[in-house]
Amino acid sequence: MRSFLLEVSLLLLFLLKTTNGDVLFSSLPRSFFVVASPIEGQVLKAGEDNITVSFGLNQTVTNQTDESYKKVKVKLCYAPISQVDRKWRKTNDNLKKDKTCQFTIYDKPYERNVEGFKWDIEKDIPTATYFVRSYVYNDVDEEMAYGQTTNEKKSDSLFKIQGISGRHVSIDIASACFSVFALLSLVGFFIIEKRQSKVKS
Amino acid sequence: MEISQNTNTTDRKFALPVDSEHKSTEFRLFSIASPHMRAFHLSWISFFSCFVSTFAAPPLLPIIRDNLNLTATDIGNAGIAAVSGAVFARVAMGTACDLFGPRLASSSLILLTAPAVFLSLIANSPAAFLMVRFFTGFSLATFVSTQFWMSSMFSPNVVGTANGLSGGWGNLGGGATQLIMPLVYSLIHTNIGSTKFTAWRVAFFIPAFFQMLSAYAIFFLGQDMPDGNYVRLEKSGEKHKDSFSQVFYHAITNYRGWILALTYGYCFGVELTIDNIIAQYFYDRFNVNLHTAGIIAASFGLANLFSRPGGGILSDVVAKRFGMRGRLWTLWIVQMIGGLLCLLLGKIGSLSGSVAVMLVFSVFVQAACGLTFGVVPFISRRSLGVISGMTGGGGNVGAVLTQVIFFRGSRYSTEDGISLMGVMIMCCTLVILLIYFPQWGGLFCGPRKGVTEEDYYLSEWTTAEKEQGFHKMSLKFSENSRRERGKKGESVPLPSDKETPSTFV
Repeated sequence: MRSFLLEVSLLLLFLLKTTNGDVLFSSLPRSFFVVASPIEGQVLKAGEDNITVSFGLNQTVTNQTDESYKKVKVKLCYAPISQVDRKWRKTNDNLKKDKTCQFTIYDKPYERNVEGFKWDIEKDIPTATYFVRSYVYNDVDEEMAYGQTTNEKKSDSLFKIQGISGRHVSIDIASACFSVFALLSLVGFFIIEKRQSKVKS
Repeated sequence: MEISQNTNTTDRKFALPVDSEHKSTEFRLFSIASPHMRAFHLSWISFFSCFVSTFAAPPLLPIIRDNLNLTATDIGNAGIAAVSGAVFARVAMGTACDLFGPRLASSSLILLTAPAVFLSLIANSPAAFLMVRFFTGFSLATFVSTQFWMSSMFSPNVVGTANGLSGGWGNLGGGATQLIMPLVYSLIHTNIGSTKFTAWRVAFFIPAFFQMLSAYAIFFLGQDMPDGNYVRLEKSGEKHKDSFSQVFYHAITNYRGWILALTYGYCFGVELTIDNIIAQYFYDRFNVNLHTAGIIAASFGLANLFSRPGGGILSDVVAKRFGMRGRLWTLWIVQMIGGLLCLLLGKIGSLSGSVAVMLVFSVFVQAACGLTFGVVPFISRRSLGVISGMTGGGGNVGAVLTQVIFFRGSRYSTEDGISLMGVMIMCCTLVILLIYFPQWGGLFCGPRKGVTEEDYYLSEWTTAEKEQGFHKMSLKFSENSRRERGKKGESVPLPSDKETPSTFV
């Protein structure tokens, strides 16, 4: 009885979402191809390296009309291994709640023949394993189609980015100096206390 | 029975009226008169700074977790580590206060843990993150020195108020930090232009400096007792330098200390647990954004502004009429209601209902903390520090236990965990029924005939020690605590010329 209720409510929820206008990833056709410069397993450095991406209509998918395509966004997405035990990067079929792709690296109006672009990896990209995905939007900003550099299971052509540590030599030195200063002050306190007790006797 | 005014002072005059131990019998919030009110302001500000440091990481976690590549398990473990260090540190602090005085004990600990906050800036891995949170958490032991200091400076009639205000306004730091750290971070990131991963590090300088400065303030401006510092008083013979083993023994053999350690785990411990999990709860269950969840989390901690002090004041007010029995009854009732509200919180499914219940729950659970420390100063005079430390440590044990049992992994959903925690609060609070003071009574029984306060407090000293006059402060305290009999007990026996008072457990 319980599982029946669960199924019914899940079905209703599903229908509700599609009638609500929330786009589901599973409903999108893979009409695009995306090619990115990093090879499988390559490690790139944030703030130093860059990625070259090219994308276009997937020729193998027939009967495509790109009249309703108004905008293209290309995003950097977390691979499954970087989502393990991290609820804040969770994949959700409902694209409004999906947190897989948190960095937009290209956002321009749709054109049919676009040359690739080069993106410098920014300093706030964290250390993780990634792939690249592109979404195409219609004029009311709803996703219509997608393309990505990896396969359906998101298991091949993944690459790594090594984030910056955020540490600077100046911060390291300041932090160490103040720590030592605090400890020395403590020693100073004890010396002062000892002196006070000697004075009184 | 009137508290005797000190009329034969050969030494200083005090800005506030004092009792025979020179403890202030009034509490004037807006005064900074030395030594009483100054001690109050020094202690709450320094404790506040320790809370800010200990809970500085949670509001910045969305950035830190990306920088250090943390998993949810890493974050959970660091949260538990942050509150577990203080379990033993609090007992150690209690001992240190008894032996060295609160001024030296607290300023030393604050300076010792300041490096942990400074080194948070250079943490580079989950392991390093856990270590810095663990060691920073030790600073929460300053709670004990705060309560000890207030109990040394303020007379029984206002000690609940002083303890409640200093503890509550210190705890405020846990809420304030949820607002301060994001603000400092965005100032550095947006206005100065540092990258995200550098900005959060630089932001940690603020709590670190604040903490270090408060240690200096305590050392140079503070004073252990109304008559001076331990060092000076011990040299002049006014204060006897006590033996660690005796102090420790009398604390751990007093069953009342253990009972309050357990119940404090289910008011203060619960408060710490909620500090760690409530933002995520609202974020996940009700889909509010992180900013809103942070504000809700902050409001839980900010209720400490009036709720914990309210508990302390209530304890003193009730004691005027009903004495110690009134203090115990009020504690029991308020904490039970807190448990009931916790149970309710997990069951409510609407956002506004949950926030409303959470706010009422925060008032009751924090008031229970204040009420607990309305009772603690009376459990022992000789071992006040260790008893305070045990109770405080028990609070942290409660926080570790509840997080490990209910909020780790996916055994219980967060809402079920909250409700079950409410049930556990109510069960553990029942032990208050077992507390009995022979001279004042317990929840259900009245005082034993013929027993006085002197009998109770002097039983902590051996005859040999008494012959040397080491027990003088306990004598004075016994006299001053006579008012815990309440209005009804005014005609109860006073100490006569008994040779050997009976020993009480």
